Amino acid sequence: MKKECIAMLLAGGQGSRLYVLTENMAKPAVPFGGKFRIIDFPLSNCTNAGIDTVGVLTQYRPLELNSYIGSGQPWDLDRDDGGVHILPPYQSATGASWYKGTANAIYQNIGFVDMYDPEYVVVLSGDHIYKMDYAEMVAAHKKAGAACTIAVMEVPWSEASRFGIISVDGEDNITEFAEKPKEPKSNLASMGIYVFTWSKMREYLIADENNPDSENDFGKNIIPTMLNAGEKMIAYRFAGYWKDVGTLDSLWDANMDMLANGSGLDLFEHDWPIYGRSTSAPPAFLGKTAATHHSVITRGCVVEGEAENSVLSENSCIEEGASVQYSILMPGAVVKAGAKVAYAIIGENAVIGADAVVGSVPDGAEGWGITVVGPETRLPDKYELKANHMLSKNMKEVVR
Amino acid sequence: MNGLHGIIFSYEKEPGLRELVEKRMPGSIPFGGRYRIIDFMLSNLQNAGVTDVGIVLHGNYQSLLDHVGNGKTWDMSRKYGGLRILPPFADNRKYRSGQEFEGKMQALAGVRSYLEQIRQDYVVLADSDLIINIDLADVFESHLASGADITCVCTANYKQTSDATFFLLGADNKVAKTLCSPKKPEGYHCLEIYVLSKELLLRLVDECEAEEKISFRSDVLNGMGDKLDIRAYVFSGIAAQIRTVKEYYDRSMDLLQPRVYQELSTKARPIRAKEDDETPTYIAPESSCSNSLIADGCSIVGTVENCIIFPGVTVAKGATVKNSVLFKGVTIEENADVSYVIADKGVTVRRGGKLVGHESYPMAISKGSTI
Repeated sequence: MKKECIAMLLAGGQGSRLYVLTENMAKPAVPFGGKFRIIDFPLSNCTNAGIDTVGVLTQYRPLELNSYIGSGQPWDLDRDDGGVHILPPYQSATGASWYKGTANAIYQNIGFVDMYDPEYVVVLSGDHIYKMDYAEMVAAHKKAGAACTIAVMEVPWSEASRFGIISVDGEDNITEFAEKPKEPKSNLASMGIYVFTWSKMREYLIADENNPDSENDFGKNIIPTMLNAGEKMIAYRFAGYWKDVGTLDSLWDANMDMLANGSGLDLFEHDWPIYGRSTSAPPAFLGKTAATHHSVITRGCVVEGEAENSVLSENSCIEEGASVQYSILMPGAVVKAGAKVAYAIIGENAVIGADAVVGSVPDGAEGWGITVVGPETRLPDKYELKANHMLSKNMKEVVR
Repeated sequence: MNGLHGIIFSYEKEPGLRELVEKRMPGSIPFGGRYRIIDFMLSNLQNAGVTDVGIVLHGNYQSLLDHVGNGKTWDMSRKYGGLRILPPFADNRKYRSGQEFEGKMQALAGVRSYLEQIRQDYVVLADSDLIINIDLADVFESHLASGADITCVCTANYKQTSDATFFLLGADNKVAKTLCSPKKPEGYHCLEIYVLSKELLLRLVDECEAEEKISFRSDVLNGMGDKLDIRAYVFSGIAAQIRTVKEYYDRSMDLLQPRVYQELSTKARPIRAKEDDETPTYIAPESSCSNSLIADGCSIVGTVENCIIFPGVTVAKGATVKNSVLFKGVTIEENADVSYVIADKGVTVRRGGKLVGHESYPMAISKGSTI
């Protein structure tokens, strides 16, 4: 059935800069903020914006993501007409290939998009934490009669060279696009969120596929080509909270933003809820010896020790005499009695043995960084895992 | 597990629950920080593999309907079978709304056409207001193994209550005598969970209807006890029927013993509640929280001690809440002082307010009140 607008969510990336956290799962499936996973944000934004058809393009380690998304019911995306669809690479009559790039992933699913015959396609990434009304962006795109609209936000000039930078004229028409420029001409950064008019996008995807020199990437190929061809492209300014959580530091930061007043990341608002598939655990239990301060706790948590400035996810546990500071305990993580955890990310179901020491408070020393324990890792009692070190399930310790 | 069908009775009982049942039935009273009492029995059925469940409703059931919805939470929203809601039929002269619920046999006679269509050979009857985590698959197996006509779940550790049923047991756990609402408790306390065959159930419904008998316990268990092989399944875990505000309060506070709340929701047999889509709970730097169960979506800045806190509760700066149960969306404003209170949904205690009940007489505050 025809839809005015559908969304395509790029969720195939490995997220290698999250190291041990993505050894066995795709980045969008990484837990966030106590009870969410990163992909909950774009999926919830879709459903809140009234987009009821979403293709999720998966490639790397999709098992966790597939079972997490399931029928799409937690996001109200289990629909007879539309709904959420997982789109892995597949074999066709002319052969099979992996998704070569972001644009190729959509190219390979032209047939899926055509089924809904949409006017507009919203292209999203599975690794950003933000709340955004895509309906407003599509309205701006429509009003301008653009072929492509790119969401942008102002970033500090000092950081501009880390982003895709967009220059605009007085009416926010895009005049120039530069991927990570050494000398940025603007501080408007692309957020990796695009609205395309499908008929145009379809043309450019096919042309791009036929160009053997292309990397089949939106930022590197499709956008510059469209711009050079003189298509109408506009910038859509966004001013709320947005964070790319593709690195361990940014993932840790974004979790801490949940706790920080004025960070702009307010998950308590009821008018734009973030949905997720949650477990059926009882409420969190804070024991007689619990001392929890400036932290979030989630269903199934059991706290008998100390937690300060930390995010305690579903079913995580801090035993008596243990302390957790400035850290993230992912779902099911356990910190045994007497262990000390500071400035660390503890992966799903990891166990920190009794009296172990993980991470340290920043002391200005060279080489300090967030310490990470991978999912399912069992840290022996009294083990010491230094700052900036990472340990995975196979007990391989690496320095970042 | 196939072969077992669930029927849950939900009806108004004792007036002893006062404010807690002003706008709801016992089965939809919030309990344990995120459940409604009926979640326990629905989850027990789900955990035993029971897919088809009918809820026989009578009384003020809107809040219960809102809560159970289409049964999706318990995986009972199915193409065939699943959850069926059975309100009183307007055309049944004997069992209808507007009059008091008189007995289970009468209610079952009212839904006889539903009973006929049951696809399973056996039926488990249970109440919506029993707090228990029980392996019903094991109860069913024991029923099949013993060859009994009716298997009744009962316990030796009873804590209450008015209007209870007790069994005196003979050899092989056979029920020798059924005592209905005895003045002095004796023997085993009946938990009102019964397993019997569909065939026997239909026969009993018809016999009772013909003789204008209405009650399962007095007319079937007691009245036909000599003709039927009735056996007990003795349950040794935690079970609570709640008939008064005081009992509600005491059973809630029992949850603060880790053994109790861990037994009531295990990983192997979780209790599922309707998803509230709340974010995690925030506990502020100056807050002090201990010995409490706290659901998602709360913001705790003040002091919380020995409490059960439901989703979306706010305890503002300087406020103190002790030994209390706060339902969904309760707001305790700055410097308020609350203890031994059960605050229903949406109650607000204004800045500096003082609300103090007593352990032996906890104060229940009606839904939506502002103090």
